[in-house]
Amino acid sequence: MQTLTRRLSRPTCKFAVVRPSWTSPLPTATLRLNHTSSNQGSKDVDSRFTHFGFQTVREEEKESLVKGVFNSVASNYDVMNDAMSMGVHRLWKDEYVSSLRPGARGPLKCIDLAGGTGDIALRILDYARENYADRETSVDVVDINGEMLKEGYKRFKKTMYHNTPQVRFIESNAQALPEEQFPDNTYDLYTIAFGIRNCTSVPDVLKEAYRVLKPGGTFACLEFSRVTNPLFNMLYDQYSFSVIPMLGSILAGDRESYQYLVESIRKFPPQPEFAKMIQDAGFATGGLHEGKGGAWTDLWGGIACIHRGVKV
Amino acid sequence: MCIRRKQLLRLALPLVRTHGFSREALSRSVLSLPEPHPAPLNETAVSALFGKGEDARRTLIEAWLSEGLADMKNAPSKSLKDILSHRLRYNEPVLGLLPEAFATLATPSGFCLFDASPALKHSTSIADEACSVSEDKSIGPLWYARRASLAAVYTAAELHQMNSPDTAYEFLADLLQSSSKLGNAIGDVGQFASYVGRSWAGIIKSRGVLL
Repeated sequence: MQTLTRRLSRPTCKFAVVRPSWTSPLPTATLRLNHTSSNQGSKDVDSRFTHFGFQTVREEEKESLVKGVFNSVASNYDVMNDAMSMGVHRLWKDEYVSSLRPGARGPLKCIDLAGGTGDIALRILDYARENYADRETSVDVVDINGEMLKEGYKRFKKTMYHNTPQVRFIESNAQALPEEQFPDNTYDLYTIAFGIRNCTSVPDVLKEAYRVLKPGGTFACLEFSRVTNPLFNMLYDQYSFSVIPMLGSILAGDRESYQYLVESIRKFPPQPEFAKMIQDAGFATGGLHEGKGGAWTDLWGGIACIHRGVKV
Repeated sequence: MCIRRKQLLRLALPLVRTHGFSREALSRSVLSLPEPHPAPLNETAVSALFGKGEDARRTLIEAWLSEGLADMKNAPSKSLKDILSHRLRYNEPVLGLLPEAFATLATPSGFCLFDASPALKHSTSIADEACSVSEDKSIGPLWYARRASLAAVYTAAELHQMNSPDTAYEFLADLLQSSSKLGNAIGDVGQFASYVGRSWAGIIKSRGVLL
């Protein structure tokens, strides 16, 4: 915690198109002990709590704490992802993007939230280019964390998309995308991969996703989820809580940040609950079950999961 | 199932006549909404709502078959002939598309090369619905026999319709008549067999073989 507290300083960032709203006081909210209710104006100032991993913290602190975690992990984010998942995260991200088939029916205007290091954005652009010779699809990479965006910008400098209209990097808060920068009914595809569980209010993120998508636009979320098989779940828990924080300590010198990452997975709602939240935000989805015709698809038994919804 | 997804499937059904059982029909369903979209759904949205690749087409075909099943209640009378004829008439606007549609259902997306269960489910559900609409009172083994025979009759009539639509209704009527005659004949044979069996049992008892 001390490490995290020391890292709460505001970063400097080259991408200051829009300043994130954590720099200004958050609106007041009623008591929320879970992520299912959204921020609403309220006179009750004293009781605003949420989870930060297994800890309970004040809402206005969570964004800063999460920011601190990602400031800490930004420079070795990809290395750590490879180490923790033994490279499997690449397969999940490939499956995620290929299931969306960007560019199949013409160029898409995409927005990738919590997309700091540019993993998903690069995959979307490569998929559209390699499969459909599409060089018009564009992705706006949005992240609340400037350090993560820096890493993404550096990665894109090595590609053919650097300095083209196909990619932009914007620092902003997924829960409150400024309307002048992100007008209503703008995007064909909204993606968020391994980021939504770090947001203070998931319903607010979903509400903003609905707002910025065009009618017929798709919301797709890749996130860690609940393993359905009890035996596999036990092994997964053992691995998560023993190996991952240790890897964080050895490879990145930051056990606490990786402990948070593991804990935050357990606090995220299970698949049916999250699918219901997507429906409540106004999206049309498949049925509340997994697989064909369902609102989500489990990957590797539920370790990761892809939820989809369409703005109809 | 999400109400909006069901609504889109229902709106896609009339488009089957012009666009076939295709992802295009599903994509264009949003143009028929009370507040229509400015453009059809893109591939990503169709896959998100209805499934990837051929799964979306299977979803549409299954929705069309369910609609046909529900429509059987609107038959002009409660006779089996009218109910099954009404169901055959439902096929007429898309008759040319049906062979390919059934082939798509029989070709699953998994590892199996061929899956007969959708075909069986189709014929048995129509038979069951026909019995329900006609207020069939069969019980016990006769319940199953009735549905099995109707499923076979309907399957034969539907296959005939795909090859020779004009004679399909007469063919159906002939089959129904034959199956009722066959049912009566089997009943008579069964009755005769039980009579013979009881007679032999009486003869054996009277000889004192079984004490």
